[in-house]
Amino acid sequence: MASGKKRVQAPSGTPPGRRASRRTLLLAGGGAAVVVVVLVAVSVLSSSGKDSQPPLVTTAETSGLAGDPKLLDGIPQHGLVLGSPKAPVTMVEYADLQCPYCAEFATGTLPTLLDEYVRPGKVKIEFRGLAFVGDDSRKALRVVLAAAEQNRAWNVIDLLFANQGEENKGWVTDDLLRRVGGAIAGLDGAKMLSNADKPLHEEQMREMDREAQTDGVRGTPTFTVARAGVPPGQISLASLDAAAFRPALDAALTP
Amino acid sequence: MSDRALRLAVAALALAGAAIAGYLTWAWYGGDTVGLCLTGGGCETVQRSSYAKLAGIPVSALGLAAYAAILGLTALDGPQSRAVAAGLSVAGLAFSVYLLVLQLAVIDAICSWCVGNDAVALVLAGATVLRFRLSDRF
Repeated sequence: MASGKKRVQAPSGTPPGRRASRRTLLLAGGGAAVVVVVLVAVSVLSSSGKDSQPPLVTTAETSGLAGDPKLLDGIPQHGLVLGSPKAPVTMVEYADLQCPYCAEFATGTLPTLLDEYVRPGKVKIEFRGLAFVGDDSRKALRVVLAAAEQNRAWNVIDLLFANQGEENKGWVTDDLLRRVGGAIAGLDGAKMLSNADKPLHEEQMREMDREAQTDGVRGTPTFTVARAGVPPGQISLASLDAAAFRPALDAALTP
Repeated sequence: MSDRALRLAVAALALAGAAIAGYLTWAWYGGDTVGLCLTGGGCETVQRSSYAKLAGIPVSALGLAAYAAILGLTALDGPQSRAVAAGLSVAGLAFSVYLLVLQLAVIDAICSWCVGNDAVALVLAGATVLRFRLSDRF
């Protein structure tokens, strides 16, 4: 016992102030360690089961969905607009979610345009959905509008185009929509599905139809390009290759 | 470096950190894009990931509270407040490193504002620990 007492005594040469200081140091260091452990533990626990693989997401792979999980990584979304709100040029895409050429654009050309124009903050793209092909178009578009309320519309659009089925054969099933909703990080899939039939979305769809008429849209996909203060003009396209878009986008970017 | 200069540096760093954390908190609650992100929208991805909040509180708000506390402790300036400020800033740095690893390895996006905060946290931890060690000598 006596030797135990000796062990806890400070060296005889250590001034009382230094002993108090060391005690404070130990307390502060211990407190810091506890704080970090608690913060990391809460972070890990509160994130587990959510987007532990965050951006668009490998769950798309495990849910059997086609699509590039990293396509939209790092690109902001606001409603139906993809890209920085400060981008000087806006490209509007009129598309039907059942239209095969729209799917071709989405899977073949869009990735290039994202890298060249959207990610650098030069161009933002606004999706305006039309539903003239049939019932699957309307059902899919309502879900996209519901996802737009959570700023995840483009993730849903991308997955729907990547997993597009035959026109009007009922491919937009509840099961597909649930898997799409579950595959997107930051999206409450159940909320998206329950909000899909809101009357507001019918009004939004009518408004997009009116805008399509104003812009002279006769088929999908149709694209317009506009710069702030300049009215939009349709892009004349010989093909859906990225090269066909560059002249119009580059011209709009040139003041 | 004099203690007065170190104290001013700690206060300035805490203010800079509070400004960054305050901006990120404002962006979080405003639901707006994190402007001036130098990494092509990575700020948005990081801010919207599930790691951006702890028990419903944005981590940027926790950072703001920590910087405010360090600022208050620097104003008090007693031996114990120096120790607590050093402990708090080291804890903040360690948590910032954890968040940086998440950005690189899990979220796969880098938020330039967060990296700026990490730099402030690193220098602040060094300054507060140095202040504590210097006061410990006398």
